[in-house]
This record gives sequence, structure tokens and C-alpha cells, in this order.
Amino acid sequence: MTAHRNLGFVAAAATLLAAAPLSAIFLRWTWLIEAAIVVAVVAGAAALSRLARAPLWGQLIAMLAGLTLGLTWVFPGGTELLAFLPTPSTFAHFGDLLGASMQDMRTYSVKVDDVDSLLFLTVLGVGGVAVLVDVLSVGLRRPALAGLPMLAIYSVPVAVYVDDVPATPFVVGACGFLWLLVTDNVDRVRRFGRRFTGEGRDVDVWEASPLAAAGRRLAVVGVALAVALPLAVPGMTSGLLNAAGNGTGDGNGRPGQGNSGRIDLFAALSGQLKQSTVTELVKVTTNEPAPFYLRFGVADDLRPNGFRDRTPTGRAVNQALTDPTERAGVERQRYRATVEVSKSLNMPLLPVYAQPVKTEDLGRSWRYDTSLQVIFSDRENSRGKRYSFDYVRSTYSPSALRAARSLPTDDPLRRQQTATPGAPAVDQLVRQLVKGKQNDYDKVRAIYDYFSVENGFTYSLSTRDGTSGEDITDFLSTKAGFCQQYAGAMAWLVRAAGIPARVAFGFTNGTRSSGGTYVLTNQNLHAWTEVYFGSGIGWVPFDATPAASVPGSVRSAWAPDTEAPEEATPSTGGAAAPDGADASAGPNSPDRLDKDADQGLSVGDGGPTQQSPVWPWWVAGALALLVLLAVPALRRSALRRRRRVRVAAPPATALAAIPGQRGEVRDIVVGVDADRARADAHAAWDELLDTLVDFQVRVDRTETPRATAERLVQETLTEDAGAVTGVRLLGRAEERARYARDPLAGEELHPALRSVRGALAARADRRTRIMAALLPPSVLLRWRTTVSERSARLVTAGGEVRQRLLRWSPRRLLAGRPAR
Amino acid sequence: MTQQTWDEVGGLLPHDEFRAASEAIVANIEQVIEGKTATVRLALAVLLAEGHLLIEDVPGVGKTKLAKALARSIDCSVRRIQFTPDLLPSDVTGVSVYNQETHDFEFRPGAVFANLVVGDEINRASPKTQSALLECMEERQVTVDGVTYQLQTPFMVIATQNPIEMEGTYPLPEAQRDRFTARIAMGYPDAGAELAMLDGHGATDPLTELRPVSDAATVRQLIGHVRQVHVADAVKQYAIDLVTATREAPDLRLGASPRATLQLLRTARAVAALEGRDYVLPDDLQALAVPVLAHRIIPTADAQLARRTTDAIVAELVHRLPLPNDRKRSPYDTRPGGTGRGPYEPRRP
Ligand SMILES: Nc1ncnc2c1ncn2[C@@H]1O[C@H](COP(=O)(O)OP(=O)(O)O)[C@@H](O)[C@H]1O
Ligand SMILES: [Mg+2]
Repeated sequence: MTAHRNLGFVAAAATLLAAAPLSAIFLRWTWLIEAAIVVAVVAGAAALSRLARAPLWGQLIAMLAGLTLGLTWVFPGGTELLAFLPTPSTFAHFGDLLGASMQDMRTYSVKVDDVDSLLFLTVLGVGGVAVLVDVLSVGLRRPALAGLPMLAIYSVPVAVYVDDVPATPFVVGACGFLWLLVTDNVDRVRRFGRRFTGEGRDVDVWEASPLAAAGRRLAVVGVALAVALPLAVPGMTSGLLNAAGNGTGDGNGRPGQGNSGRIDLFAALSGQLKQSTVTELVKVTTNEPAPFYLRFGVADDLRPNGFRDRTPTGRAVNQALTDPTERAGVERQRYRATVEVSKSLNMPLLPVYAQPVKTEDLGRSWRYDTSLQVIFSDRENSRGKRYSFDYVRSTYSPSALRAARSLPTDDPLRRQQTATPGAPAVDQLVRQLVKGKQNDYDKVRAIYDYFSVENGFTYSLSTRDGTSGEDITDFLSTKAGFCQQYAGAMAWLVRAAGIPARVAFGFTNGTRSSGGTYVLTNQNLHAWTEVYFGSGIGWVPFDATPAASVPGSVRSAWAPDTEAPEEATPSTGGAAAPDGADASAGPNSPDRLDKDADQGLSVGDGGPTQQSPVWPWWVAGALALLVLLAVPALRRSALRRRRRVRVAAPPATALAAIPGQRGEVRDIVVGVDADRARADAHAAWDELLDTLVDFQVRVDRTETPRATAERLVQETLTEDAGAVTGVRLLGRAEERARYARDPLAGEELHPALRSVRGALAARADRRTRIMAALLPPSVLLRWRTTVSERSARLVTAGGEVRQRLLRWSPRRLLAGRPAR
Repeated sequence: MTQQTWDEVGGLLPHDEFRAASEAIVANIEQVIEGKTATVRLALAVLLAEGHLLIEDVPGVGKTKLAKALARSIDCSVRRIQFTPDLLPSDVTGVSVYNQETHDFEFRPGAVFANLVVGDEINRASPKTQSALLECMEERQVTVDGVTYQLQTPFMVIATQNPIEMEGTYPLPEAQRDRFTARIAMGYPDAGAELAMLDGHGATDPLTELRPVSDAATVRQLIGHVRQVHVADAVKQYAIDLVTATREAPDLRLGASPRATLQLLRTARAVAALEGRDYVLPDDLQALAVPVLAHRIIPTADAQLARRTTDAIVAELVHRLPLPNDRKRSPYDTRPGGTGRGPYEPRRP
């Protein structure tokens, strides 16, 4: 009983360890605590039922009852008796939770926050696995099988992170499984009684086997890993920008708090774009028919090492924001948008459409920088925020831009925003481009058009990061880069032409899901250039990145697609798009996506460009479980087929019957044929042993083939004459193959095998027969032996290494030195 | 008294010939000893394995009878020594006496100069006399006054003794016991055999009517045949594992000697040949482990206190020792199912 109690405890702990991969799904660790509670209740119920010597079905019922009580306590519906006794309405509540979880699986994407419904589903799943593992490993003594439900947990993150499967949680889970196996093995070794270790006379001493030590060590490693895991995986404690920021991963990193707190938006951008996983970051709904990009950050501080953002300043957003003044040639339209930031986007800035005039649902700590046009906070961050705002969309006609006057050279804005560290090659190029251009807009257009595909520019994600003078010069010569380079280079060139310019950060329009809702992922992150025009026009966006390479890219009348043959063909969507405000918004046709895959995005890490909803995980998990459950049976039948081919092959023929000494006639079987006959006999015998294991007939390593055959004849196959001769023949063939000069030749082993198998099957009860067909114990036993053998060898090797290291321990070296 | 060299023993006999010759001997002995086929065959196997046989049992179960019947069945020189407390070593080996006529010392051979030597009640003689057998049993020679005399082939000592607890016995020294290939017990005959014994032996002793059915030359041929029996490497390994297990068994103070390994394999060859096989099986070794090993080992004081006989200890070792597998490692180390259905019931400390 102690052994069982111990095994039950290990089964529960192993289940929890195996659940470690779920950490990739959840943002926080609440699920683990709740799962631990429920698993503990299940394990306790199992232990109690075993204490009461309940049969297996009794244990199962006790565990299911424990699971129900635990779930009731953790997820109360409000009507419970004594807080843990469920009432009918509790089950209704559970049903609601389950239904909601199905819904939420589709809506949320990784990593999800502590949503009650998903937590319930997870805890229910882990609790269910705990019950299964306990029944399999303690009740049925098939711990190898317990690996299957444990593996099924792992299939969940595998299904979610298609390419980038987190390895550490799997190691933890595997350790849990190994622990279970080793504990079970130790238990077996104990039941075995005394061991022959070949070590001498004291083997009778009641000592733990080396396998027990292996188990203990593995357990220590497993626990250490489980503790270290949350610390080791950065994504678990910090969000998008913090992880990529050059500051620390502190969730409240403030922009511009000294140098350390500043976010390198470029680094964050390229880091996210190059990630192969797709994470939903923002969902935005607007009543604007063809919005321009959602925007959250600006880098306008051009240093020798490239564009940097500055510390924003401004007033709280819940006060009235300035409304842009009306201008001739500038169409301004007011719209309303609602943004839902996911749990994965974590930064001290809020994405908004330019230019917000009124916000709702945002507290005092959020402030608005009018010149940068960004909403920022030095106290809160964007994670999980939901807010609405009114904004004014400006669309500019090229003629109005052309008419705009340049800023005077002594204007502080111009002084500040046209400064460049200087790059001779760039200045040279700019002089060429703007030669003969009379106004700012023409100059900007000349620069903008320069980055066209005709000029040899191509989109590529696999370029070096950076917007320093050197990087820009490189980009201009290699002509391959992504939005970071395009935006940075254009801003630099425009500045070099004496016109204020900066880099803006935000999202392209991504995937339009329904109505005016856009789902934006890390792959939709984008950077573009903003150029300042005088005469009160202000900052005007130009996106120089090839539109074809960026899903959800938008072009405008003043900055048309350089690749499109006809410039600015307004497909004016009725009243919705005012003059010139054409936005061939978010072309997201399949061929566009294909193009993406061919070009930049797929370089190096062909990640999926689509959102991964949650529900396929569970389907994939279930499928994986089914496949895994089928593996042993498939393996067994493959083995049988292979051996049958062996056995059915033409048996060795006696090459010659030659008279031996003194007239004796001996069949001489030589060379290849003898080897063949030997191998055939071995194959048949192995198959017989596996069949015995499958049908739960004892296999004894201390028995000779003859003794095994006789035992079967005596105990098992008594009635079946065919099987009796069959098993004797198999025994004789194996015996001859092992010990005689010449193997048995010319006998048909396959029919013998078949008759024995038939007799065994006829004798076995139904449960055994089903197990033999679906989960053949022989295969599982073989696997378990392999695993425990490997682990034992690993531990031995570890011990040797330790021994060797100890030899160099300074203490020993000192002790070994002769005293003076 | 011609000296037969070992090279003259033949090779493999045809099966029929071997079978006929050996069965004849067994059948002949069985005319005298009722219901003891296995013991009789084992005795013959020891002869064919060129070993010596120790028959140990309580008085009156036919020990002497068996020894004499075996001796009579083979037409060769047979000597019988009745070991008594006053028996001298020279009676066993021989003695140099001064010949008045030739004025020279002359060797008068002792009882061991024969093909079959029946030593009855061997543990009634003093250890000194018992030790006289040491040299001749192992080396098949006798050295008296510095002169070495070779013994004949076949040469076999069949000794009988009472269990050592019996009165008036000197236990055989270990070295002496080790020289016996096998120790067998007669055991009481079963009811049917005892009845047959009463019917057949009531009036006359059938031993007197026993005629030899074989001779020394034939026995030499049989021995030659036995030597050719094939022993696979796995079987050799198993033999080594067995004796090693006795050396490492916690219950044993003294394990089996390398001589034991040799004799175990030889006897196994003979048993295999008697069963009509030309190869040895681990089954043969398992069957022979107790007769060949048990009398050589010494249990620890604890085991003696626990009244564990050496027979039981060896039998348990055999029961536990896994077969060596010359092929790839088999997964059947532990019992599948593992619910203690195997022969190894869980033992509590
Ligand atoms: N199995 C047996 N078959 C035939 N006779 C037997 C058997 N066992 C004992 N006897 C008879 O018992 C008597 C005693 O035999 P003996 O060989 O002198 O005993 P031991 O030497 O063991 O003291 C003999 O007359 C013998 O015929
Ligand atoms: Mg007697």
C-alpha cells in the first residue's frame, strides 16, 4: 500500500509537470494553481479510496467525485452547499463555462489572460488527465500508457505554435513522465525481492535500487525546471515592446525615462516582424470606410546611430484636444473608432488614428503629445485596454501640398526636424533628386518615387537593422529592405532636402474581418514617413515601402503606389471617400498573400501570416491523442508482419543428407541457410513471447524455451492439441537455433504460431483480447524497458562524470598533498 | 593391466549404437533397483562424464545395491572397499612390501587399482584414510614411496555414505567432497516400487544373477561420444553464471569451484547424450545443478540456523538466474503485469 500511495503521489505530480506546456497558452500562472488544487483533490480521493481497499471502479468514481468537488470549489456558481458541494445549478454553471470556453477559444489568441471559461476548461482537462494517469499507472500498472494523455497536453501548444514549439515545458513534462516510469520500475524491483547485482554478498540488504536514485534525481531536476521555467521564458512576464525594448522587461517601462526606459521602436518593429508566430495585438473598429494606418509612435530624433523617439509631453487626453483647423485643399472628416488592445501588446503608448480629438474610457494618466500626435502614459500601459475616440482624418490634394510654403529656415521645428548627422552619399543623391523641383511637395515626391521597384528597390526582411547614416547608405546601394529602411531612408533624404520629416510607427490595415473591424497582428506592424508641410497643413504621411509587399498597405492620392502604372486612380467609393482620399484599402487578396510568402516576409522564417484561432488546438490535441493511442497497435502489427515474412520465407533446406561417421545419416545445413533457419526460429520465438505478453501470460527469463513450452502445454494450452504441438515445435526450433550445431530445418513455424495465438486468444477474457489488439502490452513493455534502461544509463553516466569531477575537487587535491 | 590412453577413446558414435549400449546398462541395473530410473541414469551419466559418484542417504535404501549393480553391469575390474574406522590409507592405495625372494621392494596395489571402485560407507573411515583417495580421484594415479602408478580408464569411484548427522561418521573434508562429480540421494521407493521390490527380491537377491551387459572398451567408446557433444557459448555462459551465483549468494560461505564448472558441463554432456541429443541445453544444467553443486558448497551460519539445506539454496539460485541471451537484449526482465503472479512473490523485509 505504501508503494501505491507513493506511486499515486508521483502520478499526480507527473500530471502537473506534464501540464507545464500549457504555460505557453496562458499569460499568468493562475491556471497552474487551480489545476494543482484540483489534481491534489483527485489524488487525495484516489489515496483514500485505495486506503479503503476500493476496487478499480471504486477508485475511478472516487477520483471523479474529487474532480467534481475540486472544480466546484474553484469555479463556484454561487449556489453551492458549504462552498464545495455542487447543486444542479452548479452543473448548469459548468455547462455555461464550457459553452463560453468554446466561444472564447475562437476569439482569444495566445497568450490568453485568466478568462474563467478557459481556466475551467484547462483545469477540467488537467484534472481529467490526472484521473486517467492515476488509473493507468496505479490501477492498471501501465504507467507507459499514462504518457499518452500527458503527451496530449503537449500537443496543445504544438498545435498553437506551429513552427516554434516551446521546448522547455516539454522537457519538464517528459521529466514528469520519466519520474513516473522510474518510480513504477523501482516498485517492481522491490517486489522482485532480492536482486542479483553481481556486487557481492550483501545483495540481500534491503536497499533502494539505483533506479530509485535515478528517480529522485530526475524529480529534483523536474522541480528545478518547473521553478526556473517562468523566469527563463521572457514572454511570460513581459509584453511585446518590453521584451524587445532596449530597456528592461519591466511592465511599466516609461518612454523617455532616462536612456534606459526608452523604447527602441525600430528594434521592436523588426523583432516582431521577423517573428514567425502570429499574435493578435489590436482589434480596431471604425466607421471610416478606408482608414489610413493606426499609429502609436514617432521617432524624430535623428542621431548618428539612427532615428530615435523622444520623451513625449502633453496634457491629459480626457481634456479637450485641439481640433485641426480647416484649410483649403485639405479635406477633413470626423470619424469614430474603438480599439481593443490584446494582452500581448504591452507598451506605454496607445494606438490611435491620426488625429484624435476626443477620447473615451481613458483615465487621467493617459496624455496626448500634440506635436508627436501620440497618446502616452508614464504610469499605465496598453495591455488589454479598450477605448473609443473621435478623430479627424485629413486628406490632402497634391495641389494644396504643392501650394504650401516651406517653413522659414529659422523656424525651430524646421531647425530641429531637418537635422541629419550628414552622409555624403545621401546628400549627393538628394541634390540630384530635387534638382529643378520648385516646391516642397515636388521634392518630396521625387524622393518618394525614387524608392520604386523600377529603381531596383525590393522588399526584404532579412536585412540588418538600423537607420544610421551607414545603414541608410547601405540601403541605398543594396536597395533591399523593409519598412524600417524605407521609412528611415525617406525621412533622412527629405530632411537632407531641407524639409522636416520623421518616422511614424503603427499598423497597416491588416485583415479586415467584418464591417469596419480590423484585426491587427505583429505581422502588421509598420513604419512610414511623415513630412511637415507649412501653411498650417502639418504632418503628412508618405509610405515608401512597396505596397505589394505589405499586407493591408494603403496608398493615397498625394503618395500613390509607385508600382501602379496609372497614378492615383481613385476608385472613389461613392461618398465615403472624399476627393483624393483614395485608399485602395488593405488589399488582402490571396495572390497578395502569396506574394508576401515569396518575398520578404518569408525570408528566413516562413511563418503563417494568418491569425491562429484557439479552437484547432483542442481538435489537434484530440487527434494527436487518437494517433498516439493507435501507435502501439500499429507498431505491433508491423512487427508481426515483419516476423511473418521471416518465418514464411522458404525454410532452410537440407543441402545434403550425407552419411555421418559409422553409417549415421545427418542433415547438413550449412552457411546462409543455417543462419536463415536460425533467424526464422528466433523470429518465431520472439513473436510467441510477445504474444504471451499481449495475452497476459507470464514470460520468465529464467526459463529455457523447452521449459516455457512445457509450462504453456501444462497450464495454458491444455485442451488444444494443435497448439500443444505448435508450441512444442516452436520451443524445439528455438532451442535448436540457440544451442545446437544445426538449427531445425524444414518445419513450418508460421502455422504453429497461428494455432498458439488462436488458442491463447480463445482462452483470454475479453478485456485482455481488446488490450492485446489495441494497446499491445508487449510494445509498451519494450518501450518502457528502453526508456528505463536509457534513463538508468544516463544516471550512471552522470554519476561517472560527477566522480570524475570530484577527483579534481580542490579539497581532495589538497587532502592528497603530502603534509610537510 | 594395460594402460589405455585417452586418445584411444573414440569420437561420435552413431546414435543407435550409443543408445543401445547405454540403455542396456540402465535396464540391467533396473533389474535390481526398483523405481529409480532417474537416479540410475544419473549414475551412468557420471560414469560417462568420467566423474565419481557419491551416493548419500539414510541406511537401507539401496545405496550399496546401486553401486554394486552398476559395477556388475560392466565387465571390467571392480574392487570394493568397506570403509571402517580402522581402515588404513595403504589398504586403499597399495603398499610397497619387501619381497624375501627377490630381495627387493615390491608394490602391492591397493583397492583403487580397478575400473570401478565401490567405496561403501566412506564416511566411516578416518579423514586420513579418506584423504588417500584425493590424488587418485582427481589425477587418476597413485604415488607410493615416490613412485607414481597410473590408474585405468575408465576409472570411477562410487562411494556411499550416510548423512553426517548419523552416528559414527566422519564428515568428508571439503577437498574430498569437491572431487565427487555428483552427489545423489536414493530416496525411498514409492509404494509401487516397494511392492515390486518385495515381490522380486523377497526370496533371492537378483544381484547375484546380474550379468554384465557392457565392457570397458564399450564404456570408453561411450565416453568418447560424450566428449563430442556440442556446447553452445550461451550454455557455457549459463554454467559460469550458475557457479558465479553460488559464489555470490548471500546464504553461502563457500561457493562452487572451477572444478565444479568443468564437471557440471561434462555431466551435462553425458546427460544430453543419454537423452539422444548431440548438444547441451540449459535444461540439462538446471537439472544437474543440485546433484553437481550442492555437496560442494557451505552455507553460512545463518542459513544453517534457518535449516536451509544446500540443495534448497542451489535450487533457488537456479530458479532465479536468468538465462543468458546471446542475442539482443530481451525486454522480459521484469514480469509484465507485475502483480506478483510470477514465482517471485514480493518479500517483505
Ligand atoms: N529401490 C530399491 N529397489 C530394490 N531394492 C531396494 C531398494 N531400496 C532398498 N532396497 C533393498 O534394501 C536393502 C538394503 O540395501 P543397501 O543397498 O544395503 O542399503 P544401504 O547401502 O543404503 O544401507 C537391499 O536388500 C535392497 O535390495
Ligand atoms: Mg550399505
